[in-house]
Amino acid sequence: MANSAIDVPPRGGFSFDLCRRNEMLTKKGVNPPSFRKTGTTIVGLIFQDGVILGADTRATEGPIVCDKNCEKIHYMAPNIYCCGAGTAADTEAVTDMVSSQLQLHRYHTGRESRVVTALTLLKKHLFNYQGYVQAALVLGGVDCTGPHLHTIYPHGSTDTLPFATMGSGSLAAMAIFESKYKEGLTRDEGIQLVVEAICSGIFNDLGSGSNVDVCVITKGHKEYLRNHLLPNPRTFVSSKGYSFAKKTEVLLTKITPLKEKVEVIEGGDAMEE
Amino acid sequence: MGDSQYSFSLTTFSPSGKLVQIEHALTAVGSGQTSLGIKAANGVVIATEKKLPSILVDETSVQKIQTLTPNIGVVYSGMGPDFRVLVRKSRKQAEQYYRLYKEPIPVTQLVRETAAVMQEFTQSGGVRPFGVSLLVAGYDDKGPQLYQVDPSGSYFSWKASAMGKNVSNAKTFLEKRYTEDMELDDAVHTAILTLKEGFEGQISGKNIEIGIIDADKKFRVLTPAEIDDYLAEVE
Amino acid sequence: MSISEYNGSALVAMVGKNCFAIASDRRLGVQLQTIATDFQRIYKIHDRLLVGLAGLATDAQTLYQRLVFRHKLYQLREERDMKPETFASLVSALLYEKRFGPYFCQPVIAGLSDEDKPFICTMDSIGAKELAKDFVVAGTASESLYGACEAMFKPDMEPEELFETVSQALLASVDRDCLSGWGGHVYIVTPTEIKERILKGRMD
Repeated sequence: MANSAIDVPPRGGFSFDLCRRNEMLTKKGVNPPSFRKTGTTIVGLIFQDGVILGADTRATEGPIVCDKNCEKIHYMAPNIYCCGAGTAADTEAVTDMVSSQLQLHRYHTGRESRVVTALTLLKKHLFNYQGYVQAALVLGGVDCTGPHLHTIYPHGSTDTLPFATMGSGSLAAMAIFESKYKEGLTRDEGIQLVVEAICSGIFNDLGSGSNVDVCVITKGHKEYLRNHLLPNPRTFVSSKGYSFAKKTEVLLTKITPLKEKVEVIEGGDAMEE
Repeated sequence: MGDSQYSFSLTTFSPSGKLVQIEHALTAVGSGQTSLGIKAANGVVIATEKKLPSILVDETSVQKIQTLTPNIGVVYSGMGPDFRVLVRKSRKQAEQYYRLYKEPIPVTQLVRETAAVMQEFTQSGGVRPFGVSLLVAGYDDKGPQLYQVDPSGSYFSWKASAMGKNVSNAKTFLEKRYTEDMELDDAVHTAILTLKEGFEGQISGKNIEIGIIDADKKFRVLTPAEIDDYLAEVE
Repeated sequence: MSISEYNGSALVAMVGKNCFAIASDRRLGVQLQTIATDFQRIYKIHDRLLVGLAGLATDAQTLYQRLVFRHKLYQLREERDMKPETFASLVSALLYEKRFGPYFCQPVIAGLSDEDKPFICTMDSIGAKELAKDFVVAGTASESLYGACEAMFKPDMEPEELFETVSQALLASVDRDCLSGWGGHVYIVTPTEIKERILKGRMD
């Protein structure tokens, strides 16, 4: 089974079979393409009854904005969420993988997941890959031991903090936190501070932009406020669209009709109508 | 593979063409506690009796009905430890499917995967077949579904089925009671009545287990208090 | 030079009202030399699901074969076609598996769901999904395509108007890219039919 000639569905793990070819190409002077990154401002803070996470929504590929409204706050468990910065595929994959492990762990134990469990699983994976899995994370959640906020660096080191920022806009956001954060913030004050920190990233860091996503986690409850604030609406779209003076020249048209979808009408119900 | 000449399969055909180990496994199932399942118009119910070896056992620590995914649950008759192995493998399979497709695994697929594991254990070296039959209840895009999986790895979709000690009585009872347009609540009542048929002693929320799934596609195991409410309705 | 510029490509997909369009250029080159001007970059997975693969052509074709293989296995196993969203997740998983030795290609996936809702999506060469509501682009002409689509797109277009918009955006963009062009290939998929058109473009 293991060495079957055909391409069987994967059993997990990375495949390195194109590495040698790709390295050869790089040596010949053809460079690999850049990956999609989330330049990103992501933040989190602890307030009086839980944790608030925040993120901007810009994804970039080099200097190009490739997604104006992406989601950077990832689900880990019903009571744990995680903001991701770095290579988009890595943050997505690592959070998905750990959330899957947490789900299985919950089935086994029949209890709510703890934030430290998520933290340990994430840092173990990132440490194993020595920083090559490029994910910088802000992990927040509330469990039976109270609210927790952690940052995780791509190499696997972690911090436990009352307020945290990550990504290219982390300095801009930290400036706001350092000047205004205090212990025992109320929910509204907390959201306000997170929004302000993200906006600071959006407007002062070129890698971050567009909208503000917020996630509020309290004991036994969470609220994911997608696009909580839209400070950068479109200003240039014409409502009528665009009309074309000259039609495109078509050389050939081929029309393939699709099979009609067969509607199965249940015997009993259809008769009565 | 082939690391020892003694690692041959225990499940070897007898001269008459039977796999006796599988038949023994079925016997183990047949002597297990009764479980049953009913597919209603708007959901599925699975139920089982939970007889404990002694009154000193803490009955809250025993869970015979397990969830595999949010929308699929399972119950067994036969050997508890074997069941746990299957549950662990099935959950992992479901999670792998979800990770690949970002879509919950359809009931048929999960049942097939679980059945494949059970089949593998009838043909591999150094292992024995599982001493359990499963009843899998789920609700997906194709509506409510109920499957029974046997130690041989064969599986069927049922409208209502039973297994364990009282199979034949329970099945006759279900055949009499079952109707196609049954609502989930009626199905729970029927399930309780069927269990009651062959039950030794007083039935209560503590010595049976019931799992239901309805159109909200969330499988859940009823609490003893909820079962007691249903029991009161039946009487 | 970047490897994605080796063959040159332009891909765009747009959403209309209960329909979608996916279009590509027709050039296959080896750096500045043109090899073919009738190259297929868009492939059919099933009747309502198309995938375009920009980037290195050899990887695109290999990846396409693997995708077809995986989709056919799925069809046999589950006795149904894959939903566009499901297919996108599969492509993403296949690409991320090769995180440290990727296929040099950027897929664009476009499909109609069972409820006739259009779905479009693109991802980078290691499977970071980008789900857009309006349009997605890929290939060497992607920068000009971003601009053209950003200006020309409007929501809820009917199939014919969608065709015109996508064609104009494609032709305008490839004219500013040396590595792609030589006509266009447009597919418009509605709940009832697939309309496939070859566009005339500059041949220089």
